[in-house]
Amino acid sequence: MSDKTVLIVGGGLDGVHAALEHADAGARVTLVEKFPTLGAERIPRDRLISPEQAFANPDLEKVRNHNNIQILTYSDIQKINRVDGKIRTQILQHSLLVDNSKCNGCKACIRVCPVNMYNDFDERLDFRTAIDFANPATGKYNIYREDMPVCQATCPVNLDIRGYVGLIADGKYLESLAKIRERLPLPGCIGRICPHPCETACNRQYLDEPISICFLKRFVSDVELNQNIEPVYETPEQKYPEKIAIIGAGPAGLTCAHDLAKMGYEHIKIFEALPVPGGYLWVGIPEYRLPKKLLQREVDLICNMGIDIQYNTRIGKDITFEDLQKEYDAVFIGAGCHTGLKLRIPGEAEYEGIIDCVTFLREQALGNLPEAKGKLIVIGGGSAAIDSARVGWRMGFDEVYILYRRTKKEMPANPWEIDAAEHEGIILQYLAAPLEILGKNGKVTGMKCIKMELGEPDASGRRRPVPIEGSEYIIDAETIVPAISQGTDLSFLSKGHNLKLSRWNTFEIDDKTGATNVPGIFAGGDVVTGPNIAIRAIAGGKRAAVGIHEYLRSK
Amino acid sequence: MIYEKEKRYIIPFDDVPSPRAKMPEISVDERKGNFTEVETGFPEEMAVQEARRCLSCRRCLGCALCLAECKPEAIDFNIPDQQLELEFDEVIITKGQENAFYPLNPRLGYRKYPDVITDLQFERMLSPTGPLNGLVVSPLDGEIPGRIAIVQGYTRDDDETHLLSSLILGVNQSGIALYKTTDLEVVLISPLCKSFQEQFFSHAEKIPRLQIIEGLPELVEKDSDIREPLLLHYSENGEQKQQTFDLIVILTKSKFSPEQESLGKSLLVQWDQIISMV
Repeated sequence: MSDKTVLIVGGGLDGVHAALEHADAGARVTLVEKFPTLGAERIPRDRLISPEQAFANPDLEKVRNHNNIQILTYSDIQKINRVDGKIRTQILQHSLLVDNSKCNGCKACIRVCPVNMYNDFDERLDFRTAIDFANPATGKYNIYREDMPVCQATCPVNLDIRGYVGLIADGKYLESLAKIRERLPLPGCIGRICPHPCETACNRQYLDEPISICFLKRFVSDVELNQNIEPVYETPEQKYPEKIAIIGAGPAGLTCAHDLAKMGYEHIKIFEALPVPGGYLWVGIPEYRLPKKLLQREVDLICNMGIDIQYNTRIGKDITFEDLQKEYDAVFIGAGCHTGLKLRIPGEAEYEGIIDCVTFLREQALGNLPEAKGKLIVIGGGSAAIDSARVGWRMGFDEVYILYRRTKKEMPANPWEIDAAEHEGIILQYLAAPLEILGKNGKVTGMKCIKMELGEPDASGRRRPVPIEGSEYIIDAETIVPAISQGTDLSFLSKGHNLKLSRWNTFEIDDKTGATNVPGIFAGGDVVTGPNIAIRAIAGGKRAAVGIHEYLRSK
Repeated sequence: MIYEKEKRYIIPFDDVPSPRAKMPEISVDERKGNFTEVETGFPEEMAVQEARRCLSCRRCLGCALCLAECKPEAIDFNIPDQQLELEFDEVIITKGQENAFYPLNPRLGYRKYPDVITDLQFERMLSPTGPLNGLVVSPLDGEIPGRIAIVQGYTRDDDETHLLSSLILGVNQSGIALYKTTDLEVVLISPLCKSFQEQFFSHAEKIPRLQIIEGLPELVEKDSDIREPLLLHYSENGEQKQQTFDLIVILTKSKFSPEQESLGKSLLVQWDQIISMV
């Protein structure tokens, strides 16, 4: 008998056959299946059968009693990788929560269970209760118990949505807000700007439309505001002595600081390069979507926990990163993605009047932009492009264009943002790409563009835009805002910093703790994920707070 | 997570459709030249009404009603999950029981009409251990159908392997359904492949009450009344034809689930190439 070990993923017809084949050849086989039962009873697809013998599958009994086969049903492969020629796995076998050796199959449990859900084992042809047996002939009783509803599971910070929405339904608004704040220190901000992945997952959409979860969060935060209530974010009596530095007062940094203060850390200092807090929330999200006053109020609530923000302090310039490392017991990097990428077309470096979307939105937010004159062209299809255009429209440009090389359907911005821009009279030109920036006397005068058509799908599955020959045209404009994408600015790191970076120049961190490869240094938010949504940055801050706490307490 | 393939759960029947609350906004005129917040927030009444739309997705949260009812005391919420760390020399990834399939022609009405189902669903329906103990009924009204069409849902001319296996499955499913249900007629509509014609057609042809049409299904529709039978449009020898059916079964082409895909990709650099060849 050989000592070869074989893992077979999937306990369907193919998996059962493969298991028997290898086990009979002498290998030790482990058969892993997600469902609580194997399912090899299938109608053959390789030969015609007579109707009576349709589902007979003698292999199933054989595979169950084979000495060389270990069956792991109701199991997920959580990790798999190659190490020294072996394949190493971590497998989670879910508990059935039922001791099937005691079960007499009376089905009394099924009769009382109030839960009703589609039965995936039967391809959604019927319903099951939470306690059930997948297949009467072969199945074991199991309870499908979930940790959280689908909205909560989808939310990056796992807000108890069902809980706080229910409290609103009962008229308990402040209790609802308190529930949100258990996990989220910026409810008023997030309740306005979140693209709400929870709503995309909401089960109500199968009946009519998803619940408006995000705006309900805003509603309860408005209630508190309108009643002039000044809440206090509590900190515990017991304090910890360690000093923690946080780079960046954006959503990730603020949340990390908040969570650490809530655990009892009292020496937390946030270093912020800008004169204002909030990071991209202040200098990237325009005022008409998120009033600064409101953002300031929620930042103040966090600062009142004893957190100090030192503004106008750029790491690497005003203080070196090494000094920070020496002076503090732990450092969290939440520096965001504040560099706008270039178009890389002729004329871009020559003329005045080209300003990337990050700079454009930031300088507008800080009140540093000159008066709007003439026409504005924004290039790109993401949220930052829409924001730049809508800001430009408010600033008073005569005409505002958005140029996007695919169609509305492929646009990465949220559909409601695109609608709002159209509604405000912004001119959206789809299937158009910039070729060259034109200018005179050192100033931008317009842009040469080309029309595109959609060709074959590319690696992302979207159809690749291809230029239509001879379709060049010119738009006159005095200002051009590229909103292609954003990148990190890691110039604050000293040379030879040893921190592990990805090829996108973002930090590589541990999934569970937010720790970088250098002990004591943690990272989270856009500086890890690349340009992403605020709630995900907040999740990154929360994760690092837990990681930092574990790190400091085990030191 | 299992049982979440479609992320659909039962909605209480007494819950009637009600549209989602629409966020009030200031007008476009009011926005010009200033940065006033566009969205003004839900008024209280609207917020409460919106919150009441939440279905509280009822799933097992450990209410323990079953526990109280279980006489042999077999139910135990404290039985822990098992975490295993295992090492292998070889891994074989099979499609498992998730039964993912390539997208179907949306014009065939799957998920639009309850009486249009996949071959995978039909297989569960025919199974003696399935939800209906092998009874053939329409999911629309629970009636026993008089006419069933089994139609090809994935068609690429060069995909002989898929055509052959799905045709055999279609014939086998027809055979079982006809055996179980008297007075039933089954029509199988699909492009035929050479190997099927050579090896299986003559046998399949002899099955009573089964008609095999070499053709292409194009559209499934219904009158405004959902209880009406389904109208199937198809082409046969370049000619447009139509027939009515009580149940339509679509033959699918299986594929690896996203989870299995990522498993494969993490182990095998050439995964995509290999999969594209299968």
